[in-house]
Amino acid sequence: MDWFAIGRELSPKARGIITFCSFLLPLAVWSAFSYLPFLWHPLMEVTESGDSRYFRPGMTVEREAFHQENARLSSKGSVPVKGIPVNPVYLPAPHEVGKAFYTAFVTEPRLPGDPWLHESLWHSIQVIFWGFLLSSIIGVPLGILCGAYSPIARLFEPFIDFVRYMPAPAFGALAVAIVGIYDGPKIAIIFIGTFFQQVLVVSNTTRGLDRALVEAAQTLGAGKLQLLTRVALPGILPDLYRDLRILLGWAWTYLIVAELVGAKTGITAFIHQQSKYKVYENVYAAIIMIGLIGLFVDIMLGVLGSRLFPWEKDSKPGIFTFISKALGFGKEASTT
Amino acid sequence: MSTEEQLVDYREQTPEVKRYFEDLRSREVVLKVEKLGKIFGEGVGATEALQDVSFDVHHREFVSIVGPSGCGKSTLIRILAGLETSTSGSAMLDSEEIRGPGSGRGMVFQSYTLFPWRTVAGNVTFGPEMMGKSSDDVEKEADKWLGMVGLSDFKNHYPHQLSGGMKQRVGIARALANRPRILLMDEPFGALDAQTRALMQAYLLQIWRHVDVTILFITHDLDEAIYLSDRILVLEANPGRVEEFVEIPLERPRKPDQFLDPRFLAVRHRLDVLIHGEFPEEAEELSFIGGVDRFGEVDAD
Repeated sequence: MDWFAIGRELSPKARGIITFCSFLLPLAVWSAFSYLPFLWHPLMEVTESGDSRYFRPGMTVEREAFHQENARLSSKGSVPVKGIPVNPVYLPAPHEVGKAFYTAFVTEPRLPGDPWLHESLWHSIQVIFWGFLLSSIIGVPLGILCGAYSPIARLFEPFIDFVRYMPAPAFGALAVAIVGIYDGPKIAIIFIGTFFQQVLVVSNTTRGLDRALVEAAQTLGAGKLQLLTRVALPGILPDLYRDLRILLGWAWTYLIVAELVGAKTGITAFIHQQSKYKVYENVYAAIIMIGLIGLFVDIMLGVLGSRLFPWEKDSKPGIFTFISKALGFGKEASTT
Repeated sequence: MSTEEQLVDYREQTPEVKRYFEDLRSREVVLKVEKLGKIFGEGVGATEALQDVSFDVHHREFVSIVGPSGCGKSTLIRILAGLETSTSGSAMLDSEEIRGPGSGRGMVFQSYTLFPWRTVAGNVTFGPEMMGKSSDDVEKEADKWLGMVGLSDFKNHYPHQLSGGMKQRVGIARALANRPRILLMDEPFGALDAQTRALMQAYLLQIWRHVDVTILFITHDLDEAIYLSDRILVLEANPGRVEEFVEIPLERPRKPDQFLDPRFLAVRHRLDVLIHGEFPEEAEELSFIGGVDRFGEVDAD
């Protein structure tokens, strides 16, 4: 079979293998740099200080300084320093990060009163949830109305289009002044970052509804309100759902900035704190965790979507459907 | 032309056909179109799509509209459906002026326009539901209509699981479930392959025989129009005007062997002349002189 034919879909098995590789490859590169001492490793960790007066076991020094010191020591006939090549502290090995996934959860916070990692994560999820929910409660209906009725679109869209270009974090200071320093401004930033995009995206989706369906409904006697609730709404529902999934991804990217506003909280506070303590494996673990939560939520929403909208033709299987199928959530192929 | 001499006069009717048309004309007028006009745009860019179109359709009559592209036949049927407004004249259903869409006129579209989120049964019940009928009655009704178009086994399927012909049968059942006075069909079989098309024509004739409904049918397939219709309204283009209202001199019920009936061919020839003119455009001789090495007479040796 020709794998490189333009536009050709692969067999499920080949797709699975390649999807697996897309995660395996970065991991392999990372492992190579971590475990092969001749790859990179720009520093030396001192194991035995020999006759050196400056180098102590456990110290990490530039490789050049290490060799200079040894050259100096050997010219005097002293015992040389022993050491092993290591990577900088900001590049922990995969197994260290892997371990951090466990240890980060069970390690007590250094300062009493600081949140545990799971508390930080839960806090972040709540901020996202409220920001996104508030935005959707107003943004989705407004977007649908804009898409359905031109006068409403003319009234709201130009201004929303204008605000959209203002970066949400720029409202940070303002949000603190208005809603205080706790979670208010963080939720506000996620709201601002999501809402204006949301209205425009949803209105576009609504506008994309096949007009012929509206006309067909009219000839069947549907009234104005029925056209909105019984035709436009169900007609755009799968696309609307897809829009919200994508927008939720954007909300996650605003989270990190939002959590820096006012008092640092949530997963961002954890990341900053851990990098201050130079426990970089925890930093990596936390970043990867955000990715995993996002992926997990998206897979769940995808599975839910295929249950909610059985009339949708199967879209091109992506990584999410692949994983959900692998996990056994795949919906049965529809009969054609 | 020699063919014209061989053809019978398309206006000649057997006593049976004559009686059929007398009976037809004695029935009440369901649809009355008077001096209907439609101009798109304003000022210099304005184009006249329809001009002074007048005709009557009687109860349970089957009328087709044919004409060259740009004759405004789709515009006409959309005005009758209430999806478009006329700029002059009037159209009346049961002597009531047509203003906007209404359930008295069912429409079947070429693109099926089934609601993808509703099952086959759900599509058929859509109209009655909009009328506020109780769901029990509506479901029983839907079963009957689906049984009639032979899709009882598919009532819980979604439209994307159906073939084109099945989709259009649902489309017809959906429109009929609303019990319209007139069924407006805008090239309903245009997207189907020839075989399915012939099948659908047979289905439609059966439905029309057994259901109390008047049909106005747009097509660009002249054979289809002759085979199905009582009368054919021929429109000319730019602007769209009534050229002739042709009575089809063929007995009912129609059978496929009538396609070879000399009267069928006579009507067919008349329609051809009306639509394409006395001397229709023919393919020009292409030039194959010199140059390309693949040129060569197929019957050279």
